[in-house]
Amino acid sequence: MSQNKMPAAGPLKADPVLEVRGLSVTFTRSGKEFRAVDNVFFSVEAGETLGLVGESGSGKTTIGRALLRLLTSAGTSIDGQVLYRGRDLSALSRAEMRKLRGRLQMIFQDPVSSFNPRRKVEDIVAEGLDIQGFPKAERAERIEAALAAVGFNRALVAGRRPHQFSGGQCQRIAIARALAVEPDLIVCDEPVASLDVSVQAHIINLLQDIRADRKLGLIFISHDLAVVKNVSDKVAVLYMGKIVEVGTGAQIYDRPAHPYTRTLLEAVPVVDASRKLVPERERSLKPSRMRPPSGCAFRTRCPRASDKCAEREPLLSPAPGGQLVACHHPHDEPAPGLKAAAA
Amino acid sequence: MTGARSRKPAGKPVADPQSLSEAVAAARPRLSRLRLPGGTPVEAVCAAFLLLLVLLALFVDFIPGLASPNFPYGDFSQPPDLTLNGILGTDAIGRSILSRVLYGARTSISIVFFATLISLGFGLLFGMVAGFYRGSVERAVDLYANTMASLPPILVILALVASTGSSVFTITVALGILDIGTYARVAKGGVISQSNRDYILAARAMGASDARLLLKEILPNLVPALTAIVPTLMAGLIITEGSLSFLGYGIPAPAPSWGGMIASSTDLLSRYPLLIFGPVLAIVITVYALNTVGDYFARRLSSRERQG
Amino acid sequence: MAASPEPTTVLACEGICCHLPAEPRPVQVLHGISFSVSRRTSLGIVGESGAGKSMLIKTIMGLNPTARITGTVRLDGTDVASLAEKKRNAVIGRKVGIVFQNPMTSLNPFVRVGRQIEEHARYHLGLSRREAKERAIELLRVVGIADPEECYSFYPHHFSGGMKQRIMIATALACEPDLLIADEATTALDVTVQKEILDLLQVIQEERQMAMILVTHNLGIVAGRTDEVLVLYGGHVVEHGPTDRVFATPRHRYTAALLSAMPQLDQPAHTRLATIPGQPPNLANAPKGCPFAPRCPVATADCHETMPVMTVSADGRHRFACHFPVAAGAEAAP
Repeated sequence: MSQNKMPAAGPLKADPVLEVRGLSVTFTRSGKEFRAVDNVFFSVEAGETLGLVGESGSGKTTIGRALLRLLTSAGTSIDGQVLYRGRDLSALSRAEMRKLRGRLQMIFQDPVSSFNPRRKVEDIVAEGLDIQGFPKAERAERIEAALAAVGFNRALVAGRRPHQFSGGQCQRIAIARALAVEPDLIVCDEPVASLDVSVQAHIINLLQDIRADRKLGLIFISHDLAVVKNVSDKVAVLYMGKIVEVGTGAQIYDRPAHPYTRTLLEAVPVVDASRKLVPERERSLKPSRMRPPSGCAFRTRCPRASDKCAEREPLLSPAPGGQLVACHHPHDEPAPGLKAAAA
Repeated sequence: MTGARSRKPAGKPVADPQSLSEAVAAARPRLSRLRLPGGTPVEAVCAAFLLLLVLLALFVDFIPGLASPNFPYGDFSQPPDLTLNGILGTDAIGRSILSRVLYGARTSISIVFFATLISLGFGLLFGMVAGFYRGSVERAVDLYANTMASLPPILVILALVASTGSSVFTITVALGILDIGTYARVAKGGVISQSNRDYILAARAMGASDARLLLKEILPNLVPALTAIVPTLMAGLIITEGSLSFLGYGIPAPAPSWGGMIASSTDLLSRYPLLIFGPVLAIVITVYALNTVGDYFARRLSSRERQG
Repeated sequence: MAASPEPTTVLACEGICCHLPAEPRPVQVLHGISFSVSRRTSLGIVGESGAGKSMLIKTIMGLNPTARITGTVRLDGTDVASLAEKKRNAVIGRKVGIVFQNPMTSLNPFVRVGRQIEEHARYHLGLSRREAKERAIELLRVVGIADPEECYSFYPHHFSGGMKQRIMIATALACEPDLLIADEATTALDVTVQKEILDLLQVIQEERQMAMILVTHNLGIVAGRTDEVLVLYGGHVVEHGPTDRVFATPRHRYTAALLSAMPQLDQPAHTRLATIPGQPPNLANAPKGCPFAPRCPVATADCHETMPVMTVSADGRHRFACHFPVAAGAEAAP
């Protein structure tokens, strides 16, 4: 499985913050195995955002957790390499990894559940500093700075608990907690999915500012293709644990090559009432994760599937648009409807 | 316990005096107010009773005029009268039943307290380790808890006490061993459900060690669940300890104990039925109060969980 | 659809106000909501958390026993609010089908799905067991489930989230309702499945000539799918009109701000999004004037003090409640 040759997807620019080589995650549950993430390659540079998109069960959340070595439960095996500035995380000792944790941070979908319910806001923001053992003076300074970066000040949150803040405010507190340890990379797992639209824009802008100011690498996990398009420099589309298409945002959105990417794009609810939607009557069946189909996993839903797709699994290879696509019959025309809508 | 953790009303001004109809209309949110310390009047009385019992047990030596529990103070088998020592009557050799009930409370409460300390300590340790690391530790803890749960508690205690000889120490340890499994199971379940929450993942991502996760992140969140079962299990211990004394394997004689007093007064039950009331009431009220307070905590816990 | 002859009004709500019991005084969660839906048309009700969408649906369905409700709800001309509870439930159960957000909790896990579809039809229409079964199988086919005879006797856990939602739709259709309400019915689903379900709802609505209400927080869902859209904010109707007009030329400041705050697929990466300051409204301490005033960039003292009255467009189809509406010609959405 790890012999899959990776054509030219390696770092083109020097010095990626994080590089993932052949990452696979296999869960074993009551004797049955299933591969949640299958031989995934990508890299993130400083100041760059990688968007990971896919439906539920595509493995996007599992990738995020595997990167930070947060999958500890029994029956989980992780293969492949995750390199932070060239150092393989899986080769690090526990103590070394603990030190590195300050460099790699995470933001969750539901900020409130990512806070210990018995803590005050200040202590939540200081959590990483306490764990990493910062001296008191620096701790206070960093809390102040982190809160300021998300538009709060210490006096405002003093003595208050998370439930006294709204969802958007809590997500800002979660961002402050991640920033307090001054990371190089933040994995954002659906950070705006549970927020109201009017609040979502604020969090997206905030993450963009922070990324630009601090030269952070961001991995932005989301099911919302419009949000991912807005925030990402590079986009990887996941289907059943595999990357089926990866490239720059422009390549993926202007000339999507994989039929799955197109399916996703067509399904996005667009705020454009000028085009009447003609409902489709067909229905696609998503295959079971435990028993993936032979060959290309998407073929059961694919309008272009041929015999070849059942026989041989397509590997990532350059598509006409410049991105990499894992498809025997990639598309080579502009994305449907998008250009027309922009005009 | 009342008022120990009163919550600030989040900066909102206190309600102005409201009309009766509004008060009726406000019935639904009123339910949420029950979470605040106080509860129903019965629960408050029960809590006050337990507090009083603990104080009496601690300071029973300083109650002026109270007779010694071990020496006769008057005629034997006297019915209750209106003096301090005679208010519950005297027993078969003329000792004050009130005095013996109060000193018995000291024995019972300290045995139950230390036994709970033992079972809570070991139960939490085993349960948390089992819930956190799962695997063979979990299976071992489950096996222990299930075995203990499937045996009649009084038989287990009898076997333990009979083989070691009955003293306050052995009884305490034996009672402590009894509930380790139950606490372990509750702690295990709590740890498992908490470990799946994002805040544990967030702490891990910050580099928290396992010890920190268990002690600083998870343990404080187990407290509500534990406060809900501790009083109920304590009530069980009081009954078990009473039965043990009743069967003659309890606190060795002259020392006063509630079960022992019931046992000795049953001999005279047909002639002096009133004399059994003191110890029986002590056990019944204490057990009732403990269970009521346990229910109060359990209800607070569930309303908190419903809030998320 | 809009050109269909003499549309008959299925649901007409007039000045619905709803107070929930609370301390220190009851909280008003709906402020004079009026709208109507006709046969063969669809209405989108859009609002964020705290807008009052779910309260509105509960009020229409009579599922709000503790609330004090004023205003009228007419279903096919019958004022359901004035009926006794039992009668009202019978009328609503017969004429309205509803699909909720979470199919996992709306289906009974221990009852075969076919039985769950039948239940309503047998209760409200008095069908025999055999007729009901035939209807259930037919409905499973209508909602696009392959092998409906076989699936009839499956339990809910055999189905994925999207399939469960199809079964919920079949259940809602069991009594051949005049009105189908989808209350955030696709929120928990993946985008591709969401599209399938929305397509299905649209097909069924057209085929069965029902009225349909799509309740959602996502503006994108109603765009191009409904004839009219009703925007709720803080328990008020702030804008109501034909969907294409509301999206092309939103007049209320809130609608306009909401549209420009959404990331669009046709914007380049890293486009700075317009933000709306502040937080969604808290119904418990609603402002005196316009509910959006605290977050509105052009609000004046007047906006904070007095609730704007509804302005109705010349043709009477587009209305909005704003003291300083966006100019009709201005392009708010990109």
